[in-house]
Amino acid sequence: MSGSDINRRDFLKFMGLGGVGAATLSGCDMPTTVTLEEGKEKVVAYLAPEEYAIPGIGVTFASTCQQCPSGCGVHGRVREGRVLKLEGNPEALNGKGLCQMGQASLQGHYNPDRITQPMARKGGALEPVSWEEAWKLMQEKASGAAKGRSAWFTGTVSGHQSVLLAALNKAWGSKDHYVYEAINNAVGEAVNESVLGDAAPAYRFDRAKAILSFGADFLGTWVSPVHFSREYASKFRSGDRGVLIQVEPKMTLTGGNADLWVAARPGTEGVVALGIANVLLSKNQVDGKGLPQAALDMISQYSVDKVTEISGVAGDTLVRIAKYLKERSPSLVLSGESAHGHANGYQNAMAAMMLNVLLGNVGKTIEASNSMVFGELKAKTGDSKAMLDFASAADAGKYDVVFFMGANPVYTAPAHLGMAEKIAKVPFKVALSMFPDETTMSADLVLPLSSPYEEWATTVSPYQPKEAAVSMSQPLMKPLSAETKSLGDILLSMLKYQGVKGYEGFDDYYAYLRSELSAMPASVKGGKGNDAFWSAAVQKGFIKAPTKSGSLKVSLGDVKQSGYQAGGDYPMHLVPSSNQAMYDGRNANLPWLQEAPDQITKIFWDSWVEIHPKTASKLGVKEGDFVRVESDQGAVEAQVYIYKGVHVDAVAVPMGRGHEEYGRYAKGNGVNPLKILSPAVDEMSGELATHATRVRISKTGRSDELPRLGGSEVQVGRRLVSTVSADVFKRTEGA
Amino acid sequence: MQTKDINENIAWAKINEDVLRSMENPRKGYWIAVAACIAMVMCAVLAEIYQYQVGMGPSNLNWPHMWDLYIATFVFWIGMSHSGTLLSAILHIIQADWRKPIYRFAEAMTTFSLMTAGLFPIIHLGRVWNMYWVLPYVSDRGIWPNFRSPLIWDAFAITTYLTSSALFLFIGMIPDLAICRDNARGWRQKLYTVLSLGWQGDDRQWRNFRKIYLLMACFLIPLAVSVHSIVSADFAMSIMPGWHITSFPPYFVAGALYSGCAAIITLFIILRYFFRFDEYMTIPILEKTCKLTFAIAMVWSYLTLIEFASVWYGHDMVAKESLLSRFYGPYAPFFWLMLFCGIVAPFALAIEKFRRHLPTMFVVSLVLNLGMWLERWMIVTPTLATSYYPFAFDTMWPSMVQWAIVFGSFGWFGLLFLIFVKVFPSVSMYEVKEMVFHRRHYHSADLATKFHRRASDREEAGEPSTEGAKS
Amino acid sequence: MSLKNILENWSHYRRGHEDGGHHDYEHMWGMAIDLNKCTGCNACSVACYAENNLPTVGKDRMRKGQGLHWLRMERYWDEPEMGGDEKEYQERGGSFLPMMCQHCNAATCEPVCPVAATYHTPDGLNAQVYNRCIGSRYCSNNCPYRLRYFNFYSYYEESWPEPLNMQLNPDLSVRDKGVMEKCTFCIQRIRTGKDTAQREGREVKDGDVVTACAQTCPTEAIVFGDLLDKDAQVTKLWKAQEVELGKTKQEKSNGELRGYRVLEGLNTDPCVMYMDRVREA
Repeated sequence: MSGSDINRRDFLKFMGLGGVGAATLSGCDMPTTVTLEEGKEKVVAYLAPEEYAIPGIGVTFASTCQQCPSGCGVHGRVREGRVLKLEGNPEALNGKGLCQMGQASLQGHYNPDRITQPMARKGGALEPVSWEEAWKLMQEKASGAAKGRSAWFTGTVSGHQSVLLAALNKAWGSKDHYVYEAINNAVGEAVNESVLGDAAPAYRFDRAKAILSFGADFLGTWVSPVHFSREYASKFRSGDRGVLIQVEPKMTLTGGNADLWVAARPGTEGVVALGIANVLLSKNQVDGKGLPQAALDMISQYSVDKVTEISGVAGDTLVRIAKYLKERSPSLVLSGESAHGHANGYQNAMAAMMLNVLLGNVGKTIEASNSMVFGELKAKTGDSKAMLDFASAADAGKYDVVFFMGANPVYTAPAHLGMAEKIAKVPFKVALSMFPDETTMSADLVLPLSSPYEEWATTVSPYQPKEAAVSMSQPLMKPLSAETKSLGDILLSMLKYQGVKGYEGFDDYYAYLRSELSAMPASVKGGKGNDAFWSAAVQKGFIKAPTKSGSLKVSLGDVKQSGYQAGGDYPMHLVPSSNQAMYDGRNANLPWLQEAPDQITKIFWDSWVEIHPKTASKLGVKEGDFVRVESDQGAVEAQVYIYKGVHVDAVAVPMGRGHEEYGRYAKGNGVNPLKILSPAVDEMSGELATHATRVRISKTGRSDELPRLGGSEVQVGRRLVSTVSADVFKRTEGA
Repeated sequence: MQTKDINENIAWAKINEDVLRSMENPRKGYWIAVAACIAMVMCAVLAEIYQYQVGMGPSNLNWPHMWDLYIATFVFWIGMSHSGTLLSAILHIIQADWRKPIYRFAEAMTTFSLMTAGLFPIIHLGRVWNMYWVLPYVSDRGIWPNFRSPLIWDAFAITTYLTSSALFLFIGMIPDLAICRDNARGWRQKLYTVLSLGWQGDDRQWRNFRKIYLLMACFLIPLAVSVHSIVSADFAMSIMPGWHITSFPPYFVAGALYSGCAAIITLFIILRYFFRFDEYMTIPILEKTCKLTFAIAMVWSYLTLIEFASVWYGHDMVAKESLLSRFYGPYAPFFWLMLFCGIVAPFALAIEKFRRHLPTMFVVSLVLNLGMWLERWMIVTPTLATSYYPFAFDTMWPSMVQWAIVFGSFGWFGLLFLIFVKVFPSVSMYEVKEMVFHRRHYHSADLATKFHRRASDREEAGEPSTEGAKS
Repeated sequence: MSLKNILENWSHYRRGHEDGGHHDYEHMWGMAIDLNKCTGCNACSVACYAENNLPTVGKDRMRKGQGLHWLRMERYWDEPEMGGDEKEYQERGGSFLPMMCQHCNAATCEPVCPVAATYHTPDGLNAQVYNRCIGSRYCSNNCPYRLRYFNFYSYYEESWPEPLNMQLNPDLSVRDKGVMEKCTFCIQRIRTGKDTAQREGREVKDGDVVTACAQTCPTEAIVFGDLLDKDAQVTKLWKAQEVELGKTKQEKSNGELRGYRVLEGLNTDPCVMYMDRVREA
């Protein structure tokens, strides 16, 4: 390939004066983007910019957002050497749009509280040190770790970083890579695996005519919200419009969009599913031949009256739901964290899956997913069992050194787990982190990570049911601090230090990635040369990966349901809800998201307690009063928000605030309901049962104005947003 | 038994003496009042400096309450300014003699109210330093103010009115300034010599003077009416419910006259007490002022009630809500207080016993003005609290910064007035003389035959006195 | 503005938008927002913050109501057309409404600004000139939608501590205290789109200009474009819903069509059309 200079000049010829979209020429054999990395010795921002960087005209580069596990492709608009704005990558699988978390991830990149230098604990406090010192410390304490005495505790990892991490662990003789996500679909995946043989099947929103979701907030935080939102709006809600029924204890964003929102007593979702099945079989003449006899027997025990008694859901609601499911075919039944987070979470998920089997959805709206051939690059998804296992292992003194990256267990772990104390037992803790969060601040050595927009990386989205892609990340600008390193670079350095064969030839992670991409099969490269393929991949933002098709079996498990327990001293159910603004707490240091009002309650910058008007009048509180939510593990106090979107017996406190560290925007702001969770675990899967805590609430007497955006919550007779019925819609705009 | 407005046997020299004595070196009480006013002004100055530097935020103004006490107080002060015009101009044209002893300070009140009011459109701006852009000057950007905006009409109207009132006040004072000149020494003499413009009191000068005075009075009346109509257009020209009401111009003018009259009563009692102007600011005059105030109060009450009624039986649901929110929304206590002060309290003016009792009148007049200030506030804020857009409904209470500035404006007005009463004659000497002359020659008991009898003869015959009815 | 000009064109100026006066305009930027597709996710609002240098004001000031959320995602708990809300639970979810400056053709904010800091551009936009604004705030009072926001403080130091200030978009200003601001339909993107088209020697076509909110919406609920361009997607939507500019009451051949404009009975003639939310009866 000819030298870079000629390419740049030719590039300019193609583009005239430059302009927007320089990086979106596709299909050319010529490398039409010149990346910062290639010209890095010559790049000097502002004074002598690259030829393509014309002051005043933005250039768009592709990268990947890492704010949540979905890994959506983004386009970053770069001007004068800084990335200013992120948009969705229209060509990527999870693209076109970008959710509020993705937009705000830019504030993570530019965050004033980012860690800009390695830190080491000296005499009790973390002090800034040089990388030399940091490596020396690692040498002393970590690299000599005995076989099996080291571990990694991370969030979702994928792509080539995952490969390097696995290689490193292998080099250390460790099998322990704990992948933890506070918001996960682990119980659902376990049921999917057991019933269908596929943990993450393809959900065909475009084919479904009815969706019954037991707490799966697929528009907000469940699995891949941007992807599902697109399908939901463009297919499910268009033309022959489908009906959405949401059954959950507290209204999520998806619940806010439902045609029918049903509040079931927390933990009884499985019973509700059985009740619906009962109605389907008895009243709607649905053929039960798809179900095993044991299931049919179980279903027949749950008459409508019994279900109403246990769950609180009225009989005619069950009949209505059954009618929708029968008439609007095919349907799709989902379940999410509010159904899963109980001691009988697995049972609830199994009951929901039973409905799918009964209604014949498997093969219609639930299909086998295709799996990417690059299996080693696939995402390792997280669950909470990893955290529980890690806590016991750390407590038992199993490790000499633990690496933390992309997870904040000190913050998200319930107090009963004693995570901080257990982690403290590990002699040497290394945190690879961008921000001073709680876990990072408890480490012995902190290595500053670069942001997703300063590094080379590959990412694979966990949910890629049909087509698969390896998403590329490239630096959108020079690193803000020279001392930060990408995860890939750190792992590579560690591998080289360990003398692991096969890595010594690479100067840096960029070189490694180039080599890896060059080594991809010719079919993936599409007949291009290595340089052309690399440029195309970086320009487009992803590599289309070939897939193997999968298949589904159907073997329904046991649908028995355990009984419902009354609460005694603690009569109410705590719902530690996840909301997109704060997510699992990681967004608390982004001021845009702190100021963005919560999607349902419109509250900002602080935590709150959602209760039903009946609860409020029993307690004698009004909006803005501080209440005390107390479990057997502790208590939190926050202001009350009263509305009809929460079950009468439930108290919803959002997770994500109440940080004790994590920078100026997060620290000291709000409360963390995860701390007061009771030690409950889902029996079948071992997952932490986050929705199983019982609490009582009491008045504190304090009151203040609730930080809620908006005056009236009703339209007072004005036609601001009115509603038409779906029949009218189908008449006027139906397909 | 008939009462007379002024005793006709007051000698000219006595009038001069009494009034000039009021302008002599002040006693301790005066300096305390000045200090108090300066302290009030300093509160406002400090608050404004803070607001100027930090921004409008500390005033508690927010979305949607973009206007609050500043505009309310602005309208209040403009309203108060109608006192002078009413007394000076309107009553002059209808030849109501009883205005003569009191119109001077009323006109001064007008000018100073306008000077106070004129501060508020400047203070309430977000970028105060650019306020001169509202003036139509030839800028090198080739841009003029937006002549469609009621705020620009305000700018024109208020500057015109201020200039005219000040001029009217000054011109009306010329003969008096000549008297002061003739009786003054030192800096005062120099001042009055310049200001009296060489007045000698000859026939030609008096004739010209009368012509100018009458002309200005006629000019000032429509000006005053238009000024407050224009200020009401700030609200009436908007589309907001509770503001977009066609009866606002007459309503505001009525409220202005009301406010002005009430203020006249207050200052009447103060000046009468402190300067011992009992002979001139007599009880009958006070009574007439009170009756006039009562009449205006009834007009205002009527206009208020028809404003409510027309909204109540109308079809505009949003306007109705806006009105009802005043009755039982968060601002309701102030609204009800305003109705009490504006509609119920003036009935004290209808009762003769109260009318003659100066302390009661003092308190009642303050209450009436409180009602008028509240009325302005209740026009501005509840409309913004609940208007067309429910998501923007909000209750907002002004902060100490706003209160300090409002409070300070009263101090500023007081300061100007205090300076005025010591530098200029607060009772119009020549007009009082005219009034006494008129009484002597045209209002004595026996018009035809006792035309030139002396004062002493009349007293034996049980002539009317200035002390009012004795039964 | 010569006298001759005024006399010749008097009736035209007087009628303005009512007689389709906007046909003299080069563009008429408008939006169509489908509330059936809008999920209320709030991405549009955050994208607007990112694109337009909006300051975050913090909890106390936001609670006082001094926030600057040009595009706000409203949520109501009633359904005026479908009634029936005396149930125990909120059975049909929330009514989400993204609200930004409607760029009314008969804007109530424009006549009342004392210094003419807000005016109607030949593009059909309601423009706010920051450096002309003296902060009298009359425009905000007169906006029936309450879509104008005021800089109550100077936020530069507080809201953008280094290096957050590097994210600021240099295509537009960071406003100082005392100035009104509101949604501009991303006028900086409109200008860039027009400049690009001019440089390439062609007309602006549909898709050249897209606002930040429309670009980030994951469901494509917001469609932005030129209402004078017959082929633009937004024009087709307006036409399909039989909503026209210049009317206070739309006459539709099919009364069941979903398109409407908020508070259009006030004769503001907004350029944003909404399509009703849909729910099962």
